[in-house]
Amino acid sequence: MNTITQPLILETLRQVIDPELGCNIVDLGLIYSVTIDGTNARVIMTLTTPGCPMHDSIRFGAEAALLGLEGVERAEVEVVWDPPWHPSMMTEFGRAATGVGSY
Amino acid sequence: MSADLKSSLVNPAVSKPPLGTHAPSVALPLGFVLSGLLSLGFGVGWLVLRPSLLATYHYNQYVIALTHLFVLGWISSVVMGAMYQLVPVALETKLYSEKLARVQFACHLVGFVGMVWMFRVWNMKQVGHFGCVLGLGVALFVYNIARTLRRVPKWNVTATAVAAALFWIGFTVTAGLCVAAGKCAYDSNTGFATEGGVPLVVDGLRALGAFMARFDAISAMHAHAHLGGVGFFTMLIVGVSYKLIPMFTLSELRSKTRATASIVLLNIGLAGSFTTILLRSPWKPAFALVVMTALGLYGWELAAILNARKRRSLDWGIKYFLTAVVLLFPLSGLAVVLAWPGLPLNTFTGQLENVYGFLGLVGVVSLAILGMLYKIIPFLVWFGRYSPHIGRAKVPALADLYSTRLQAFGYWSFLAGLGVTCAATLVSSEAFVRMGAILLALAVATLALNVGAMLTHLIKPRLEPLGAPSNPAKSTNRSELTGAKTASPLSPSPISKPA
Repeated sequence: MNTITQPLILETLRQVIDPELGCNIVDLGLIYSVTIDGTNARVIMTLTTPGCPMHDSIRFGAEAALLGLEGVERAEVEVVWDPPWHPSMMTEFGRAATGVGSY
Repeated sequence: MSADLKSSLVNPAVSKPPLGTHAPSVALPLGFVLSGLLSLGFGVGWLVLRPSLLATYHYNQYVIALTHLFVLGWISSVVMGAMYQLVPVALETKLYSEKLARVQFACHLVGFVGMVWMFRVWNMKQVGHFGCVLGLGVALFVYNIARTLRRVPKWNVTATAVAAALFWIGFTVTAGLCVAAGKCAYDSNTGFATEGGVPLVVDGLRALGAFMARFDAISAMHAHAHLGGVGFFTMLIVGVSYKLIPMFTLSELRSKTRATASIVLLNIGLAGSFTTILLRSPWKPAFALVVMTALGLYGWELAAILNARKRRSLDWGIKYFLTAVVLLFPLSGLAVVLAWPGLPLNTFTGQLENVYGFLGLVGVVSLAILGMLYKIIPFLVWFGRYSPHIGRAKVPALADLYSTRLQAFGYWSFLAGLGVTCAATLVSSEAFVRMGAILLALAVATLALNVGAMLTHLIKPRLEPLGAPSNPAKSTNRSELTGAKTASPLSPSPISKPA
């Protein structure tokens, strides 16, 4: 039985922060989708702005976090810009952590 | 899953290093920044020891040496180092050559240190020689960034401003070397060979000196100063903030037309100001007003960006920067006053010119740079030390690398020092200039402490092991933390297409 679930992957990705905003990438609303195929995990995500200096750090960090998860043998993180990120995608926790107002 | 996607699956054994593909290594920009900070410390210390520099008219060797220490040693070092780091990432391209940048760093250090020293002892011939070394470095810098700009996938207003700034820095250095040639009696050719290229160069420099003698020396110096101050520093402040302020405050550019118009008018205003200042033309105020209009448009656009920001609270780095932008307006008002043709040439006017220069270089440009340094240095340190560990260990956020209390203290100390120094300069009070300089030195000390705190992370990183992800079924509902309903952690927007 595969123990890797989408909620577990999201909890794992909560350990990866955007260091500029000081909040994890899940509560920032940067994760668009999570797909699990056996021992492969695929995440499609975005960043708050194109040209973000942390682009590669965050992307590789997310991959490293997934690979640290027991049962994941391969991980793929793809950064997309469409649809563009908007603060309304953040969770309430993310908004509170970054000082962004309600939507 | 497509074949391409399958082939890019990450295998733990061959995981790529998490380093930026756009930026150069952090050592290069950090070297520039640390050289800049040392120069700032020396410059402010010099002012504390010799407050007479600002309490008397500025056309003397010591003020010119101090000005070049600030402009080349402090401001240009930081700006150039930051550009090597930020232009590639902000414009989504790669730096053309890191090797050229390293050669430029060496030329820059030798050039500016030699120039400041030779200005101080007023050896203009050697100023010219060291200026050529610096100029060689600037040429490499311009070439390197220009080639980087050619790779920009999507041209925008920031790229236009950076391109304009490159033109003006090249012009500034050329004009400065011409001013130096105009001041020195170039008699070194007596010992040189009478054939070949050397006499030709010396004759060329003599001819250039004779040409520069047609212009009033002070006007030429003021025109040169405006090329650098407006064309390079202000142009970059305006252009780069159209990218960085939205990035840091979670906002967006509100009007491309307004932003572009501000850059175009700034260029027109500067071209006119340079010409009219050099020729002592009565049209000086007209072009000063054009620059003022450009800055008005810039202020309007920046206010619109800030009004639309999603992140309501502004951190101290942004507060430093925005305060500098606000100071642009009294500065440009002062420029219009000083450009007025009927202004009497008396002691008070001379001191007003000192205030103008000091407010421009220290009040506007230095404060803007200090604000951006609180973004750049944490980023460089974090990128160099923690980037490889993200996702593998618990890493600090950028704001955890320094003390915000020290940063706030530095802000108020800097503003107090600026106000006291400007007022004391206006009334030629050495005692109060010293007091103002001490307050500025305190602000620099707070920065030094914070920089020290940040750099310790390079030696002693603060890493903690990641906790195992909690069982989501039992995990704390985040709404309990905020008292609000929790949104879905996955974005509610559908994915229309992968990039």
